[in-house]
Amino acid sequence: MTEAVLDPDAAQAAIEHCYEQGWSDGLPLVPATQPAVDRFLAAAGRSPDEVIGRLPQLDRTVTVRLAAINAVMAGCRPEYFPVVLAAWEALMRERATGGGGWQSTSGPAPLIVVNGPVRAELGFNAAGGAFGPGFRPNATVPRAIGLIVRNVYGIHPHELEQATQGLPGRWSICLAENEEESPWPPLAAELGLPAGVSAVTATLLRTCEFVDNRHTSSAEQLLGDFADTIGRSGAWIFEHALAGVVFCPEHAQLIAAAGYDRAQVRGWLAERCGRSTADLARAGKDGLDGRVRLPGDGEPGSRFQRVLPDADSKSLLIAVAGARNAGISMVVRLFADWSGTAVPVRENEESR
Amino acid sequence: MPNAILDPTGRAGVQAAAPPGLELAPRRPGLAGQRVGLMNNTKHNAELLLAEIGKLLVAEHRDASVTIAQTKPNFAAPAPADLVERYQRECDVVITGVGDCGSCSASAVADGIGFERAGLPAAVICSDAFAVTAGAMAAMQGAPDYQYLITPHPVAVLTPEQVRERAKQLLPKVVAMLTERADQ
Repeated sequence: MTEAVLDPDAAQAAIEHCYEQGWSDGLPLVPATQPAVDRFLAAAGRSPDEVIGRLPQLDRTVTVRLAAINAVMAGCRPEYFPVVLAAWEALMRERATGGGGWQSTSGPAPLIVVNGPVRAELGFNAAGGAFGPGFRPNATVPRAIGLIVRNVYGIHPHELEQATQGLPGRWSICLAENEEESPWPPLAAELGLPAGVSAVTATLLRTCEFVDNRHTSSAEQLLGDFADTIGRSGAWIFEHALAGVVFCPEHAQLIAAAGYDRAQVRGWLAERCGRSTADLARAGKDGLDGRVRLPGDGEPGSRFQRVLPDADSKSLLIAVAGARNAGISMVVRLFADWSGTAVPVRENEESR
Repeated sequence: MPNAILDPTGRAGVQAAAPPGLELAPRRPGLAGQRVGLMNNTKHNAELLLAEIGKLLVAEHRDASVTIAQTKPNFAAPAPADLVERYQRECDVVITGVGDCGSCSASAVADGIGFERAGLPAAVICSDAFAVTAGAMAAMQGAPDYQYLITPHPVAVLTPEQVRERAKQLLPKVVAMLTERADQ
């Protein structure tokens, strides 16, 4: 058997070619060829011409084939492609992705959560550094989503994409749930899929912000720390705002040991996350015009306004990821409403 | 012979099928007696700004009237065909906006182009912060030179009094855009 000859000069020329075409998100791309795309298509077992996304206002259509080309370019391996397709499908269930979400001044980032056996099979990181970087599947699956938006929808920064500042982590937030150290059932199971099924949950985020609490052994004090971050006025535009929490194992276990399941965590937080009218008045957000906040008319300042609309599972996404080494969790801020569903990963059985 | 590098856009060779260029709807000789349509895109202050411009137009042009004032169902997407048809039936000229966000600026320009193709002279109002995205949409619609009206950013945080002032500033440009006096 002869070893393949690695030609770095040819590789560099091909990478430069991709930059010159305007295809790159700023980082080097893996040039896609037909044999590579064929391997991706075989891994998914889907018709290359199947339409999986459409943006009517731009008259652009995403097919499985175009998704595969972009997944190759993102640096995915063929076996990741079913996860890319599931993540894309989960994102297509979000109202904002069929409207103006990708063009928004908010510059929202997909949050992709992977559950099930596919995590270990493909080497997804669910433990330390869950938000990245360092792991190929976690880094390349969301990058593939970003390249599809850029190249197939044609939404480029400074042109049809109008992000004011964007946010750190756009096209790079993909975490596997740490099911092994989570006290609760997997997120996908909570959303109705059978346990043991590999699945992807996704929505759009405006940012992530940490809650570091290594200070208390009281579940209520700990949840109170989350409530303060979730309730802050800056993230609050409309009548309500949606959020999520990616708990580290230590926080999740402490809260679960006090008797809280996911629904009870949501119930506790829905009641307590918010600000008084006086606090909101200081930010000019105490009143409402329809659903939009604006300076109010001086109603008594003591009334407590809740940021979460209710304790429904769609109003607060809860997942568990990270290392068991500190009490550091992440509050995530949702861009718009979340479908509250998980999409099974459909692998091509024949190709395995 | 090495393998070819594949195009990830799906647009290679699509240029031939680009949308046709834009022929503007015939401009009106003047606005006297004209039925004016307003279409707001839900952005904050858009409804008030358009209503104020409508009021000033009616006051300054004999027998002009605002006959339809609707809100687009989705700020991010161009107005649906049935809504465009209503404007075709119920008015002679359209004023629409305010393009004041990433997707709504682009779609406001697409609306203006859609109204022109439906035979209605249209004046689209966009915030100056979104000129690039508005222009990108115009090019995508096959009308790279499409003219729209620019107002300084921001619009959403203006007080009602400031919005009325904006309406006064925009009025002559709106009239010029809709009538034969326009410098196209």
